[in-house]
Formats: sequence, structure tokens, C-alpha cells
Amino acid sequence: MIENRPWLTFVSHATLLLGIALVALPVWMALVASTHPASAFGVGHIPLWFGDSGVDTWKTVLLEKAGNGIDTPVFFMMLNSLIMALGITFGKIAISLLSAYAIVFFRFPFRDLCFWIIFMTLMLPVEVRIVPTYEVVANLDLLNSYTGLTLPLIASATATFLFRQCFLSIPGELVEAARIDGAGPFRFFFDILLPLSRTNIAALFVILFIYGWNQYLWPLLITTDDAYYTLVMSIKRMLSVTDGDIAWNQIMATTLLAMLPPVAVVIGMQKLFVKGLVDSEK
Amino acid sequence: MTVTFPQKGLPWLLLLPQLLVTAIFFLWPAEQALEQAFYQEDAFGLSREFVGFENFIDLFTDPLYYQSMLTTLFFSFSVAILGISVALLLAVMADRVIRGKLAYQTLLIWPYAVAPALAGVLWWILFDPSMGPIALWLNSAGVDWNHYLNGNQAMILVVIASTWKQISYNFLFFLAGLQAVPRSLIEAASIDGASPFKRFWTIVFPLLSPTTFFLLVVNLVYAFFETFGVIDATTKGGPGQSTNTLVYKVFEDGFVGLDLGGSAAQSVVLMGIVGLMTVIQFRFIERKVQYS
Amino acid sequence: MTDVILEKIGKTYPNGYHAIPSVDLSIEEGEFIVLVGPSGCGKSTLLRMVAGLESISDGELRIRGERMNEKEPAERDIAMVFQNYALYPHMTVYNNMAYGLKNRKVSKEVIEKKVTDVAEMLGLTDLLQRKPGQLSGGQRQRVAMGRAMVRDPKVFLFDEPLSNLDAKLRVQMRVEIRQLQRKLGTTTLYVTHDQVEAMTLADRLVVLNKGNAEQIGTPMDLYNKPATPFVASFIGSPSMNLLPANLVEQGIKISNSLTLPLPHDYRGGVVWGIRPEHLEVSDEQNADFALRIQAVESLGAETLIHGLLEEESKKGIPMVVRLSGPHLPELNSLMWLTAPVKHWHLFDEITQQRL
Repeated sequence: MIENRPWLTFVSHATLLLGIALVALPVWMALVASTHPASAFGVGHIPLWFGDSGVDTWKTVLLEKAGNGIDTPVFFMMLNSLIMALGITFGKIAISLLSAYAIVFFRFPFRDLCFWIIFMTLMLPVEVRIVPTYEVVANLDLLNSYTGLTLPLIASATATFLFRQCFLSIPGELVEAARIDGAGPFRFFFDILLPLSRTNIAALFVILFIYGWNQYLWPLLITTDDAYYTLVMSIKRMLSVTDGDIAWNQIMATTLLAMLPPVAVVIGMQKLFVKGLVDSEK
Repeated sequence: MTVTFPQKGLPWLLLLPQLLVTAIFFLWPAEQALEQAFYQEDAFGLSREFVGFENFIDLFTDPLYYQSMLTTLFFSFSVAILGISVALLLAVMADRVIRGKLAYQTLLIWPYAVAPALAGVLWWILFDPSMGPIALWLNSAGVDWNHYLNGNQAMILVVIASTWKQISYNFLFFLAGLQAVPRSLIEAASIDGASPFKRFWTIVFPLLSPTTFFLLVVNLVYAFFETFGVIDATTKGGPGQSTNTLVYKVFEDGFVGLDLGGSAAQSVVLMGIVGLMTVIQFRFIERKVQYS
Repeated sequence: MTDVILEKIGKTYPNGYHAIPSVDLSIEEGEFIVLVGPSGCGKSTLLRMVAGLESISDGELRIRGERMNEKEPAERDIAMVFQNYALYPHMTVYNNMAYGLKNRKVSKEVIEKKVTDVAEMLGLTDLLQRKPGQLSGGQRQRVAMGRAMVRDPKVFLFDEPLSNLDAKLRVQMRVEIRQLQRKLGTTTLYVTHDQVEAMTLADRLVVLNKGNAEQIGTPMDLYNKPATPFVASFIGSPSMNLLPANLVEQGIKISNSLTLPLPHDYRGGVVWGIRPEHLEVSDEQNADFALRIQAVESLGAETLIHGLLEEESKKGIPMVVRLSGPHLPELNSLMWLTAPVKHWHLFDEITQQRL
């Protein structure tokens, strides 16, 4: 800063710390709650400091069963979530890379039309057309399947746009040099284009992984079989137990476990995450 | 770019997966919704009858639909304005500090990764009338908190939960915007004798206005469509109709109420709204590109 | 032996724009041909048609007797050096140079030998493991040339390869390119807008104007006998002085007051030209005309004097005189000049052809 105003610096730090505390508050409470036995709830207060049954609860939830009407353990649902998240992420990246490649590096009839058809998916979020989409997937016999969990969500205008931008910024002379060097469309794609798009792909990977992991409504609708439950949607099923029987400690532990992977990705790959977030909104 | 490969069939092959998925899971359902909106179906799906615009007429003469529209607008603008204000404050402070900037950033952005449904559940517990610490504290301070019965309180709850998750996003964009403000402008203003507060309101904030407008649009879109999980995991649109947003209503009328025609008509209306917002967003982006 | 033949090559864009009407050119093996002209004259388009990066609308391109029109760039056995070098940013210098050979399924040992040989020739041996981002402009330029050389192609194509370098490096690289080309003996087609570069490099020059080859010849041909006023003004620096004139019985009439003596049977409009270095200073009695001095540029070894023709009708026509050694004439003073007849260039005003 230009001038030194200690009180202003103090206010800045204080505001930020307060902000962090407020942001962390619900997670802190959940963490505390998960360390108390189920019987500690419903007696007029939630405990404010750690109890001693934390290890037991977390172990049970993670390895044995999540409780509250769900008999599968969290790690199993985590696996489903992981399969769905990775399926959506890789699927989106793969088909968007291919279609952006076609749109930027080839000339063919109806190219603009194709671009607009892809663009329209932006206007049709799944929540908006939920009933007919469900019917389509039901007709295709994809309920309770990994294909049903991932395939309908992998069309992505955003990723296609992002790769298109990225490809358009590659100088034309580079393409010409590659053609003179004897690289056809396939070699060019794998030898030049993919390596040059590496950071973009990685950044998008972070964003899409979070998107995929956090899917809620879609898995909720199309899975009725425990074997395909994903972690985020299972919370809803856990909450629909009659009020008095809810084991809050288990719900809190499950909630925290459901948050953990994407939060770890954001913090661990902060730079890529920020880049992905900013790029995909351009 | 003029440099292209000469192959004619290959681009179609490359586009095929994307076009197939789009056609099957986007265009077909959208077309179904459009068709469905003109039919009335009995609850068992055994028969259906062409009713013309009746579903739309029903929709626009239903006071509940208008109420849901108002609820959505109130909810969306509350989330957008609250989220933008808090994030701006935090971003300005984070831009000021020299030490620990990255640590602050890390500790503020992680909620972006939390699923909306989970965000809803976390806050729900905190505000639970019988055991949530905030609710208990409010009760002892004389506020009778019960979001199971009080529609306004339920609304406050979903606004807080939705905003909490979105602050991180706004924060990052504001921080980037602040870092793009030329140092020389700030220095010139301080030589002209402007205090830090005056500098912010007369120089920095006007320069951030494109970012602010962009975030307003993005936040409204977020509150409209991506907060489904928050509402479904907590209030389920209630109590009464107090948190029944348009997007939640499409789901509820279709899957719970089994009014497929009415739900489809709502889908069509919503698609129109999304289309409009996308166009606005793109217009804005075009302008942004011209400036940069 | 004739190596490359362009026969009535033409380019028409899909929107109907006729970029190049028809160009004929045959290039001998080992020859260094420079395509030169102002921007937009079609020189890059012509080069890219030879490379196969643009389709050929009319005519035929043959390399060593084989028709090339429909061949892919990679099948034409050419190598190209681009203006922006177009190095693959994610590959090392070694891999940049080896990429074209790898795609042609050349064995690893051969690739390694070729790349190390060329790297040594260009002084790149120590840079082989670097990436293009870590190199200076001149080094990148060398890598781009190395990439072309390892392929050992039939034809080198250069598209304004020196225009991104600073002036000093440009002169140095110019000399180096010429030496390398002589040593390798590879047929070369080189595009530039810089006439000095063109003159110093070329065995033969092709001057292009609006898609037409105005003249094809050795640098000295073009300097001594420019075929059109365009070539006359484009080749040589400063440009040739060109004046509209009429051939009359007494000689050549430049204006009412100024007629230069030359018996000629032609009557009509001509363009008369003389190079700045061929004007001679004389005294008032013997002078052909006078110049009112407007500006003097002293370059040490030579002096350029800009002035306006002094004549009764007061309509001054600008002229440049180039004198060797330092001169310091006074501004606005008169300078008496003669224009020796043997250095005149005359062009038909209508057909623009040399008379």
C-alpha cells in the first residue's frame, strides 16, 4: 500500500479472520457434532466441544453402514461418487475436445449449425427439463446404472467453448508447419494440440470433477438401488427418516466425508482451480 | 483462422459423440417438454388428451405460480446482493493485506466445492429450533426461531445457505478484478489527497463495475437453477409455499404432484427464461471482449 | 535441369477475388529465387500455393517433372521457414527438428545423425535440449532453418523469415542464409517485401504487383533495365525519379519550360526516369535543369538531397539526388544538374512498358 495506516491493516486482518470464522462455522459445528453419541442430540442443545465417540462414529459410517436407513457404508458410496464424477469429467473433456477440434480445424457444411446445437445445451440445465429427461433415460433402460448416472450429463457447451478458445489461440503457422512435417489430423491432435492444451485440460478437470461429484438431483431421481447411491444424494435419503430417529452424529460424519474429496481437490490444486473457474466463465 | 485440414468426413466423426448426447439427452427431452405442455395426462399415464394452450393458461391464472415467481425473484436477488456485498468486502480486505494473502484465499474459497445440498444440511442443523446452537441463541435473545413453521425464517435460512457457498466464487472474481486496477491510478488519487475510502468509492468501485455486473448475472443464474439441492435437502419448498422457487416447482409438480402437463408448461417457460439470461450473459461477454 | 515449374498458376478465392491472375516461372536446380513486392501483391499466396497450404485454382505446379497440384504439403518434399518460426513450443529443439523425420518413419539412428549434423552446422549443438521459449529471436530463427534443413528437401520455402529480427541480426542472418544455400545447393523460393534483402540474396528476382509478375530477372537486370515504372521505383533505394513527360521533335518535354534534347521518332506520353545516383552536378550554363533544395540527408559516405524542380510554371516536381561523400548545400538554394542520356529510362505511359 501507498501509505502506512496500521489501524486499516488491523481492520483488514480482523475482517478476513471474521469472514473465515463465519465460513468455517457450519463445518466446525458438524465436526463437533459428529464426535458425540446420537443420544446427545434432541435434548435442547448441540454440544459445542468435541465428544469422545468420534472415532467410533466415523469408523462405523465409513466402513460399516452410513445409518439412518442406509445400510451401505460411506466408502462404497464414495466409490460410486468417484465413478460418476470421473465418468462425467473424462466424458465431458473427451467429447468437448473432439468437437472443438472439429469446429476449429475443419471446414464442413452446417458447421455453424452444429456449433449452435451445442450452444443450446447451455440453455437447458437438467433441472429445467427434469421430467422429460427422466422419461428418456427410463425409456432407454438406464435407471440404476453408471451409464445413466454419467452419460446424460456429459454434453457440455462450456467445455467445448473453452477448448475452442484455446485452439483458436494456437497460431495458424504452427498447424502449417505440422502439415509440412507430415502430421495428419490424428498426429497433429496427439502430438501438438493435446500437449499445448495440457493446463487447460487440467484446470477444467478440477472444475468438472467438483461438478460431477456434487450432482444431486440427477442421481436422486434415477437411483433406487442402494448399489448405485452416490454420497451427496444419500444425505437426502438419510434425512427422510422420521424425525426422532435421526442419528445426527452419523449424518454429520457422512456430510463431512461427502465434502472432503472436492474440498481437498480445490485446496490441493488451488492454482488450477482458480484458472479453471476464471477461464470457463470467459 | 484459415488453416484447416482438408478431410470432409472426419469432422462429423469427431462431432458425433457430442451431437448424439446433445440430441438424446437435451433436444429430445426439450422437444418432449414442449409437446407435453400441450397435453393433459391422467395420473397413471394411461391416457392423454390434446388441450392446446390450456396448461399455459392454467399456469398464468394460478396465483401460486405468481407467488412462486415472486419467491424466486426475492430469493435470487437476496442471494446475489448478499453474496456480492460480503465477497466484495472480503476481497477488498484481502487485496489490502500483504502478509498471508494466499492463506486467506485458501481459507475462503473452499466452500465452492461443497455440494448445495450439503450446504443446506449444515446450516439446517445450526438453525434447528430444538438443538441448533444459533436457533437456541436466537431464542434466548428473544427471537422465536422456527423455520418449520415460519416461512420468512425458512427463506432466510435457504438464502444464507445458498449465499455461503457462492461467496467464494464472487470473492475470487473480485480479487482478480482488484488486482487488475492499475496501481498508477490509485497512486495518482492518493497524491490528489483522496483517503482510502474515497479512493475506493470514486476510483476502484467504478472500475469494478463490469465485474460486479457480470457477477450479478452469474449469481442470479446460480440462485435460479443451482440451488435446487439446498431447497430440496432442507425446506422442500415449504413451509406452505414460502420457499417454492420456479425450478423446485417444476420438479415438485412433475414428480410429486404428477401434473405432467403443468410441469412441462413450466419447463417451457423456464427454458425461455434461461435462453434470455444466456443471451444477456453473452451480450455482456461480447462487450467485455471489445473493451479488453 | 529445371527443378520447379509454375505454369500459368492462378488463384481465385471462393468469394470470387482474383488474387493471382496467371504466373509463369521456371526455376533451375539450386537456384535462389526471391519473390518481392509490396504487401498484398500476392507473393505469400504464391509461395503457399507451392507449399500446398493454399489450393491452386488454375495452371499446373511441377516439381522435378511431377504434377503437385493435388498433393498434400507433406508429399511435395518441400520444407518451409515461417515468419513467426512456428516452432512447437512444447518440444525441445531436438524434437522440433526431428518431428518431420519421425513422421516419415526415418530410423532413430538416422534422425540423430541428421539432427546433430545440422545443429553443428548452425551452431545449435548446445541448445538441443532447450525449448523454444528459452531461446532468443536469432536462435529460434536458426532452429526454424534447421528444421527445414534436416529434411533435406527438394525445395526450401522462406516466408519473410527475417522480418521479426532487429536490423543488425537481419543483415547477419541474410549473409548466413545465402552461404548455407550455396553450400547445400537446394533450390530456394524466398518471399520478402524488403528490396535490399531481395537484391542481395537472389540469383533471380520476381517482382510481383497485384498478383502479376512484372519482371523476372537477375538483380542487375532489374536495376539496369526495369521493365515497368513499378519495377523501376521498387528496385533501388532511394527510388528512381519518375516524371510524366512527352516526346516531342526536339527531345523529351517534361514541362512547358523544360525540354531535354533527344531525337526520337516516337510521339506521345511517356514516363521518364533517372536514378538519384545518376544525376550529376554541373554549372548553370551546361545544366539540364535546376533543383530548389528542400532537405539534405547526410549519411557520411553519401548525401541525399531532396528538392523540387525549378521551372517557370512554378509547379515543382520532387526529385532526389544521391551524391557520394559529404556535401552541405544551403537549404532553398538552387542546384544545377545534368541527366546523362545513357542513364535514362523511358516507359510508355499507357502500356507501362519500357521503350
